[in-house]
Amino acid sequence: MGEIWRDPAVADIAVRTFLVSGVATVFAMLLGVPLGYALGRGRFRGQTMIFAAVNTGMGMPPVVVGLIVWLLLVRSGPFGGLELVYTKTAMVLAQLLIALPIVVGFTAASIQALPPRLPDLLDMLGAGKLERIWLIARQARLGLLAGVMAAFGGIVSEVGASMTVGGNLQGQTRVLTTAIVTETSRGNVDRALALGVVLLLLAFVLNLGLTLLQQKPAKP
Amino acid sequence: MTDERMPLSLSGVRFTRPNGFVLDVPALELPSGKIIALLGENGAGKTTLLRIIAGLERSAVGEVRFDGAPPRKSGLAFAFQERVFLEGTVRRNLEVALRLRRLPAAERPERIDAAVAELGIEHLLAREASRLSGGEQQRVNLARTLALRAPLTLLDEPLASLDADTRERLLVELPAALRRFTRLAIVVAHERREALGMADHVVVLRAGKVLAAGPKSELFRRPPDVDTARALGLVVLAKDGVRYAVPDHEIKIGDDGAPGFELRVERVIDLGTHAEVLGHCAGQAVTVRAVPDARLPRPGATVRVVAGHAVELP
Repeated sequence: MGEIWRDPAVADIAVRTFLVSGVATVFAMLLGVPLGYALGRGRFRGQTMIFAAVNTGMGMPPVVVGLIVWLLLVRSGPFGGLELVYTKTAMVLAQLLIALPIVVGFTAASIQALPPRLPDLLDMLGAGKLERIWLIARQARLGLLAGVMAAFGGIVSEVGASMTVGGNLQGQTRVLTTAIVTETSRGNVDRALALGVVLLLLAFVLNLGLTLLQQKPAKP
Repeated sequence: MTDERMPLSLSGVRFTRPNGFVLDVPALELPSGKIIALLGENGAGKTTLLRIIAGLERSAVGEVRFDGAPPRKSGLAFAFQERVFLEGTVRRNLEVALRLRRLPAAERPERIDAAVAELGIEHLLAREASRLSGGEQQRVNLARTLALRAPLTLLDEPLASLDADTRERLLVELPAALRRFTRLAIVVAHERREALGMADHVVVLRAGKVLAAGPKSELFRRPPDVDTARALGLVVLAKDGVRYAVPDHEIKIGDDGAPGFELRVERVIDLGTHAEVLGHCAGQAVTVRAVPDARLPRPGATVRVVAGHAVELP
């Protein structure tokens, strides 16, 4: 098992895994936090239905998402012309769709848990738009960062969507989870286990950073 | 033209809640240098009116002017009834409030120290605001509001959830502090005693409409109508087609003086120092204080009472 740490192919796969899931998480945050805020704060018709849809989305099987994205991107599909199927972009897209409801759901819940008069207070104190967003995000950061961690954890560990839309192409779209499947099917259980340890370490380091950020006490 | 002495004016203010409640204030002017009490029953629209003045109800129509212009956020402080804090210590909460008001960092500690001293909460500065007791939080809420030193200060139930000692102290000290820092303060208090104790000017609201507004002494001396008299806590008694407004402690058993009324006694509570005689007088529920001696009436009896300081209502 020792030689795996010196294997450049493994480092390559680990970096790709981190990039694909990292980029998908960042996009999920950029889209999901404002959507979650609107869902948590607003009062509008159909809100409960959207909540139910988001909550369902949080538990969507990745392989189903992968299948849908694959059907859209495959050469004969509606977006086949983009030639995205079996690329990292396709994987980011599929992972983004898996992560988005998680970020939206966590954001909406943490915004709903804030004191209802908090926006009024910031408004009364004359907070500018950015100050307002910053103070509310800080106040809701337990839930927001939990959402980011859940989203990243969910997509970095999924195999179904990555396999379906990425195709597990060596040197191109192979990530840690699909590599583990490949190695296991070849009977290289040692190598598969080692890759599993790399995946866990990757997830742990990122989550450690986010947790430190989450649990940091507020300073004046 | 702005009237120097009437810095706050509302005109054509109208606001409708989805539940059908309508607040309608065609015209209202409030004098400067005063503390104004908003009186009214639950649901009369007191808090809503404060929120409209503060510009927090965006769907309200009409005009609110303070010194001739819509009240600016930077010149306004509002202590909400719901105590809202950012995470972190009491100091951070005051600090952030002053920072959002663009007060230079060098001036903040002095402001904070003065405000917490006013409320007697120096010992709470390093505590987590959200973990304080209700009474402590309320004092922090007030300290944060006073620290802003805004010319227009709005207080919604400022003395709620305070312990009795603090409440009695603040009933005197809060108006004094407000007079030092603000040009106009509006206080909403459910307890009539608190509202009247702090204010020198009164606005009576009922079902979303202003019933009466004026100096406290003037309204008490000459209540314009029955509803205003009741809102001020006066008992309204009718006799021979004339209605009188009477402070309830001025109703006494006896027959020397006028006007006199018949009181049908329903219950008598002997409290040792004095007795409370409860009953109906001209159709109005009345509680009369009496000396607990042998002459105390029994339930079912009818006794004569006189109403001192009675004011004839129009």
